[in-house]
Amino acid sequence: MNAPRRVVISGLGVLSSIGLGADAYATGLRTGRNGAKPITSFDTTGFGHGTGTEITDFTAAEWLRRADPATLGRAAQLSAAAARLAVEDAGLPDSALRRRTLVSVGTTDGESQDLDTLAAQQVRRGPEHMDRRLAGRVSAGRLAAGIVHELGLADTEAMTIGTACAAGNYAIGSGVDAIRAGDVDLALCGGVDAMCRKTFTGFYRLGAVAPDTCRPFDRDREGILPGEGAAILVLESLSAARARNARVYAEVLGYGLNCDALSPVAPDKATLAECMRLAQTDAGVRPEDVDFVSAHGTGTRANDLTEANAIREVFDRPPPVVSIKSMLGHTMGAASALSVAAGALAITKGFIPPTINHRHTDPECDVDCVPNVARTASVDVVQNNALAFGGNNCVVILGRCE
Amino acid sequence: MVNGFAYDRSGDLVISAWAALSPFGVGADAFADGLRFGSVALTEIEDEQVPADVRTAGVIPDFSPRTSLGRRGTRSMDRVTAIAVKTVGMVVEQCGPGLMAAPDRVGLTLGTGSGSVQSVIDFSRDSLTGDRPYDVDPARFPNTVMNKAAAESAIWHHVRGPNTTIAGENATGLLSLSYAARLFRSGRCDRVLVGSVEEYTPQRAWLSWHAGFRAPLGEGAAVFVLEHRDDAADSGRTAQATLVCTRFHAFHEPAGCGPAVTQCVQNALRQAEARPEDVAIVAPSGNDDELAALQDILHDPQWLHCRPLLGDTSAASASFQLAAALVAGRTAAKGTLALITSVDPSGTAGCALLRL
Repeated sequence: MNAPRRVVISGLGVLSSIGLGADAYATGLRTGRNGAKPITSFDTTGFGHGTGTEITDFTAAEWLRRADPATLGRAAQLSAAAARLAVEDAGLPDSALRRRTLVSVGTTDGESQDLDTLAAQQVRRGPEHMDRRLAGRVSAGRLAAGIVHELGLADTEAMTIGTACAAGNYAIGSGVDAIRAGDVDLALCGGVDAMCRKTFTGFYRLGAVAPDTCRPFDRDREGILPGEGAAILVLESLSAARARNARVYAEVLGYGLNCDALSPVAPDKATLAECMRLAQTDAGVRPEDVDFVSAHGTGTRANDLTEANAIREVFDRPPPVVSIKSMLGHTMGAASALSVAAGALAITKGFIPPTINHRHTDPECDVDCVPNVARTASVDVVQNNALAFGGNNCVVILGRCE
Repeated sequence: MVNGFAYDRSGDLVISAWAALSPFGVGADAFADGLRFGSVALTEIEDEQVPADVRTAGVIPDFSPRTSLGRRGTRSMDRVTAIAVKTVGMVVEQCGPGLMAAPDRVGLTLGTGSGSVQSVIDFSRDSLTGDRPYDVDPARFPNTVMNKAAAESAIWHHVRGPNTTIAGENATGLLSLSYAARLFRSGRCDRVLVGSVEEYTPQRAWLSWHAGFRAPLGEGAAVFVLEHRDDAADSGRTAQATLVCTRFHAFHEPAGCGPAVTQCVQNALRQAEARPEDVAIVAPSGNDDELAALQDILHDPQWLHCRPLLGDTSAASASFQLAAALVAGRTAAKGTLALITSVDPSGTAGCALLRL
């Protein structure tokens, strides 16, 4: 049989609290910008604190060319706008979009702000008084469908992947498999979530939300900062990208995914380690080839210790292990897709993004988290970890495309 | 082994077992009987919390998490999760211990609408009405996340391979099938439990009502074992159908629906190197434009209509249509094709072709 086709990233569409668009995002990562600020999208009265990583300068109408913003909730707006950005960044001609494509968008919460609003409307006035417009656009499938409408795709398979906080990596993995199999030459994959009161409340109740600062791998860590964002990537077969002389950021060397089937919320070290090995085998890389790990790194004790220990199980001498969540907060379904975008930029621009807000590395983690200041480095291979509720792990590995 | 592709896995992917939990009752036999007799499984809903003018629905008879799964582990379990856990459990039990001999190599791909909107809204309501906004039950927080049903099914039945949650409105079951087939072909697992699930709850009823739908809703799940023909045979399972391909097509205004169905089915037939007259069975989702397009393409197949019997089972609908095709396929000529089609008004048409 033929060798599987190689898959490359040729376009980035990023909307984040530290920058809109790939260039601003790269600058944000490189300069260690902090996306944390007081939450404005819902009333935080009654909570002890209310800091998050919102995107405060996004107006859908400025970014969308075809889709009607009124028919989309905030998550679908972010997703469609990120896809538009990605396609423009890739310089894709319309003819490429008329061919068979895959659209795959990861999310934790779907159209969560609309659900927040619908819940509030019911509490105030009863279930017979909900906003029809919101009720009609609230289904999670719309996150992928919004991209289809924005780009006018026809021969396309569009799915939303709801595997929580690892969903971005899952979506990218689904694109890799579709391209490798020869089903499509082009896939638009990534993740999105909007800031959401429900999720803030849940993590707050679990005691997992930091008052104002996210400090992954720090002995004084206080938890996550809930946030929002979107990253949609243009994935192409290497041959298709070469045929149109596309700029290639990086190659997706492979990925792995598994499930611990143990706990609804707690991560499992051994299963996560196994997932990293699955990804490395799929990618054809050895642990010593990895230049840095972009960790799930939420900034909770449960995550950071489990993840650091799993990394030490896989790597004799771990490379730098960074958490861009220190800058971006936890953007839920977008998180791992933003992280893949960061890895692609790191390879292209030659730097390792920092873990900001860092003071004292937790001795129990004992990782080189590239504290506070980005490191200039030649980066060839990046490993991107993602964990989700329900023991769902997914690890994606990127490499420099020779 | 390079990139996980140990061998060519493109052909011979079969469905070798399945289970359904539906308004017809518990199990594949209840589903097959209900379908064969054309029983309308819609009942009157005696719940003041649902819209007064849509009081019929296709609900699973006498189902609750506790009555179905027992007291242990179900205190905080919501309906969609319980339906999934029960249905996956039926497949696992039916196949015996061999199915899960290598749990790391068994995947679970489960489709859902948006998880449980009931759980999401209830959680938010507690936050909005309690003394403090964080007076919520932390054990119910995971229910508000979409992958709960798939993850909990994995925990209950020890499925440790790739565990994925897919959402795509009416086409969810077909998208799940497509995703699962790719997982298998990419060598990421040796078999996949694949299907989709939907719940009937007051919140879903109200959202659907506000979105303008008045037809009866339905609920349930169907879950299939997707594996290589040889593995099925080695395990004593009979291949009930071979998955030939799945295809999808988008449309951007209502008038585009019929042409999208036509395009998607023609692409699938072309990919299968088959002719329209090879399609012996068709199970459509029930949209008028979809039916008209299929009538133009196909040559007098057997039609299977699930929605009038079960209600609009949304995320579960295409999986029920697939189950219906497998039931009808038991008496169809070997080698003929079954076609499952689905349309979602938001702009998706999809289909799956199976060889019987």
